Amino acid sequence: MDRVPIRRVIFGTGYRGPDIKTGRIQPSSRIESMLSRPSWSVRSMLPHDEEDKQASVTKEQLHHLLKLSALPQPRSQEEEDGMLKTLESQIHFVKEVQKVNTTGVEPLVALRDETAESFREQTVTLDTLKPFLDQEEKVGNNGTIRRRKPTEMITHSGWDPFELGDGKETRKMGKYFFVKKGKDKDNAPPVLPP
Amino acid sequence: MLLEPLPEQAPLRKQLKDAARASRGKHDDEVSERDRVRHERLAQWELTVGIEIHAQLNTSSKLFSRASAEYTDVPNAASWPFDLAVPGSQPLFQPAVLVPAIRAALALKCQIQRRSKFDRKHYFYHDQPAGYQITQYYEPLARDGHLVLTQQDGLGEKDGGKIEIGIKQVQLEQDTAKTQEQDEVTSLIDFNRSGHALIEIISLPHLHTPEAAAAYVRKVQSILYAVDAATTGMELGGLRADVNVSVRRLDDNTSNHSYSGVGGLGQRTEIKNLSSFKSVEDAVRAERDRQIDVLESGGTIEGETRGWSLSAPGVTRRLRGKEGEVDYRYMPDPDISPLYIHPEVVEHLREHLPPVPEQLLDMLCANYGFTVVDAQALLALDNGGRLLWYQDIVAHLKVRENDVRSRLGVQVGNWVLHELGALLTTTETQWHPGLIDSQQMADLVSLQAQNKLTGPSAKRLLRILFDGDKRSVAEIAEEENLLFMPMTDEEYDALADAVIEANSSEADVVRQNGKQAKGKLKFLLGQMMRQGDRNRIEAQRAERILQTKLSPVGA
Repeated sequence: MDRVPIRRVIFGTGYRGPDIKTGRIQPSSRIESMLSRPSWSVRSMLPHDEEDKQASVTKEQLHHLLKLSALPQPRSQEEEDGMLKTLESQIHFVKEVQKVNTTGVEPLVALRDETAESFREQTVTLDTLKPFLDQEEKVGNNGTIRRRKPTEMITHSGWDPFELGDGKETRKMGKYFFVKKGKDKDNAPPVLPP
Repeated sequence: MLLEPLPEQAPLRKQLKDAARASRGKHDDEVSERDRVRHERLAQWELTVGIEIHAQLNTSSKLFSRASAEYTDVPNAASWPFDLAVPGSQPLFQPAVLVPAIRAALALKCQIQRRSKFDRKHYFYHDQPAGYQITQYYEPLARDGHLVLTQQDGLGEKDGGKIEIGIKQVQLEQDTAKTQEQDEVTSLIDFNRSGHALIEIISLPHLHTPEAAAAYVRKVQSILYAVDAATTGMELGGLRADVNVSVRRLDDNTSNHSYSGVGGLGQRTEIKNLSSFKSVEDAVRAERDRQIDVLESGGTIEGETRGWSLSAPGVTRRLRGKEGEVDYRYMPDPDISPLYIHPEVVEHLREHLPPVPEQLLDMLCANYGFTVVDAQALLALDNGGRLLWYQDIVAHLKVRENDVRSRLGVQVGNWVLHELGALLTTTETQWHPGLIDSQQMADLVSLQAQNKLTGPSAKRLLRILFDGDKRSVAEIAEEENLLFMPMTDEEYDALADAVIEANSSEADVVRQNGKQAKGKLKFLLGQMMRQGDRNRIEAQRAERILQTKLSPVGA
């Protein structure tokens, strides 16, 4: 197949398309030399060993955080020290991130379509609600409204949660799921039956 | 305003009157000395209460899944994967929930936000499958509303006649699964309720008595019911309240906590999961007393979560201290887009917003001549059904009479509330719309208004209708001989003559002394009433005949 001429202008990099013989894509030499000399590394945001580390997390805080997260407490001094060290470096990292000036910038929650078109599509209008308003009826003459509720009680809504089981039904008791309560002495999170 | 339909057996009107009298300040418990001392002590402190109410929305689907939200008694039959936080399941916002939610917010006079967002509130518990609840912490659906409480709503003495309670916000959130204790170590879980749409209504700390706190919750429930936003009340677990309580000494400035922008308050504690109006009042009172005790003996109040139970209504107990405090780590939910609501939706719902009880009360008093107590009684009966029947009756009458207000409105009210009420009570019957046709009632009242029926005859006719007679009122009156046939002038004449002759000495006294002999005249009148046909004689005419016959000048 002939090459499409437009490829010559992509990125001004001199990209010429896949190699005729091997079919492999050859990176341009300019790109290669640019990438071989990184100008930044995430390591710049981690604590350097020489720095005078002031503990920003106490042992008590660590234990509290583990409890909040339903994680087990450290089983040895070594493990605790290791956790504290990791936490310290993470806090340091976050502090570096926080140095960026974000005045006037709205925090990003998720990458979403934020075009006017999509905004219009998402907006709840009377049309959206019409089917539900139609389910209501006027009662009397004072403007009272009551939603019409189904006369038959529903018995099943389309999905059986017990499908999730391993077939041995270890979490099922009749039509209920069940959990066992109880703590062991050192306040570890409760252990559920296998 | 009472929401629960009270049985006819209870003397409803008496209850309301007692409540009205009590709220005017004549409490029994102020009599004893002990209470006088307690009263004095309380006078030095100010109680402040803020309340968070969680109400299940009246809607057909859950908040973020297509599972049905209708009632079912089959456990675990109404869930979709997202309700059990099955990995990979995604939230799908159900717009149906906005109808009751916006109505509730509008009825509470809030501003509906054009844009609102959803956040995650993290904590671990077996009824919270995802490990977080989806709520609206940062940008709720509605803000800045208020609610007015008056004496009739059951305010305490200290509140004065009327108070306005600010509402900080109304937000959408998920309900948890239902737990049942099988035994000491086993809990059974039903996920039907997991993911149901709730609204949380957060008040500002503007309440200052236990009575006002209970009145506030009661009023919110009645408003939600009136606009069809929530149809299961506290008694059925559809509405729960958490209260925040603090006290401060009135004469010092050391209280410097600030909650929701209200400053100068003492340290507050929270009491969760109160499930009746009375328990709100009792729990607030118990906690107030405890905090005053602690502070008066030199201690300090810790910010903690406490519990209250019916078995020990005078005390609250500590559930969770500072060290057990939960950090919810609120964060915006990245899986859920912001909610945008078109203004036309808000306008439409506002325009067609059903009337709240206050409006109906005002209408009854202004347009139908009711007293407040009677209006409240009527509104409370049969879930609003009695009111509608009453209005139908009046509507039939309007066709014939021009001046319904004050005269006929009150008369119909008397029949619907008191006469029929008495019949229902004595026969232990429950009212229902088909009991007596509204046209029949209208005819009865009309006949009585035209003086074609005396009081006693009308009551008899009512009884006949009550027992199920479907003939028209005109037919019944005719065939049962109930119509009032007034005595003719000749008959009055003859009767008066007979009575005067039989009591000539009294008659002479009247002849001689005229207006001075009122007592004797009444005696003669009484004789006429007793001897005349009970069903046909009218006292006024009889009296006039006597006066004419016995006037000093006439013959």
